[in-house]
Amino acid sequence: MSKEKQNEIKEIKREIVIERLRQAPPSVKISFGMSEGKFMDRDELIENVEKNTDIGNRIVNLQLEYLKAFKTGFLTNK
Amino acid sequence: MSCILFSRPDHDSTLAYLYYYSKGLVDYSKNKKHKTLNREKEHANRKEIINLIKKQNPNFIMFNGHGDPDIIAGHKNEIIISKANSEILSNALIYSLTCSSGQKLGKLIVTKGAICFIGYNKDFNLGKDPNSEASPRRDKIAKLFLEPSNILVKSLIDGCSVKVAIERAKEKMRENIWYLSTTKDFLEAPFYAPFLFGNYISLISYGDVKASI
Repeated sequence: MSKEKQNEIKEIKREIVIERLRQAPPSVKISFGMSEGKFMDRDELIENVEKNTDIGNRIVNLQLEYLKAFKTGFLTNK
Repeated sequence: MSCILFSRPDHDSTLAYLYYYSKGLVDYSKNKKHKTLNREKEHANRKEIINLIKKQNPNFIMFNGHGDPDIIAGHKNEIIISKANSEILSNALIYSLTCSSGQKLGKLIVTKGAICFIGYNKDFNLGKDPNSEASPRRDKIAKLFLEPSNILVKSLIDGCSVKVAIERAKEKMRENIWYLSTTKDFLEAPFYAPFLFGNYISLISYGDVKASI
């Protein structure tokens, strides 16, 4: 796959995750990887994803892994 | 009777939750008549913890704190365990409620003689209810994230094997992920589910999973 195509897919994934995060009320609080002891709200999470920070990339990977697991019956198959 | 050591720093808002939720584990261990060593807040420092490990040889150690693939930290993020002193945990069972210490350090700790290492090989995430600010006791979201960890530790204190303790914790996580993914009780629930899922997939162990304390 060309680098251009890879970047395009990466961008689509990022947009999916941002859209998913936007569904939450702004007041939600997450300490992602215990993020230096702080809790981040929805917009801080989105900002990390938008800016491609290390945390942002880890959030994208986790969200996509969750969606994949959900699709393959993680919660319903024991 | 086993000897159990808890390292419980409390110097930032995330660790305050871990501190609060692990208090019941200290009491639980005492009630089960285990020799219980609790080092909390500023006493969860390198000097005190290392001295206790050397002098008391605890069978089981629970570390709350921050971490990364190479370290487990304590009060004010002082490094307590790293590659340099990982052999100090030989013959003990370890549970590291820290980020990522399961990625590299956990394996090393076992190769240096620990019976088993339980920890997280990626990020440990914690959600909190913005409506119960400053009150971990009333926080219905944090409970969903930390209850499975407490089930794991209580199972070990009760004498269950590592394998059973992890299975019980993961089962509770699945239950809580399912609840968050499907409930209509509160609007923001689905937002938290992937983050708890992250804890589920990163909870790992190395060493003898049939071991118990």
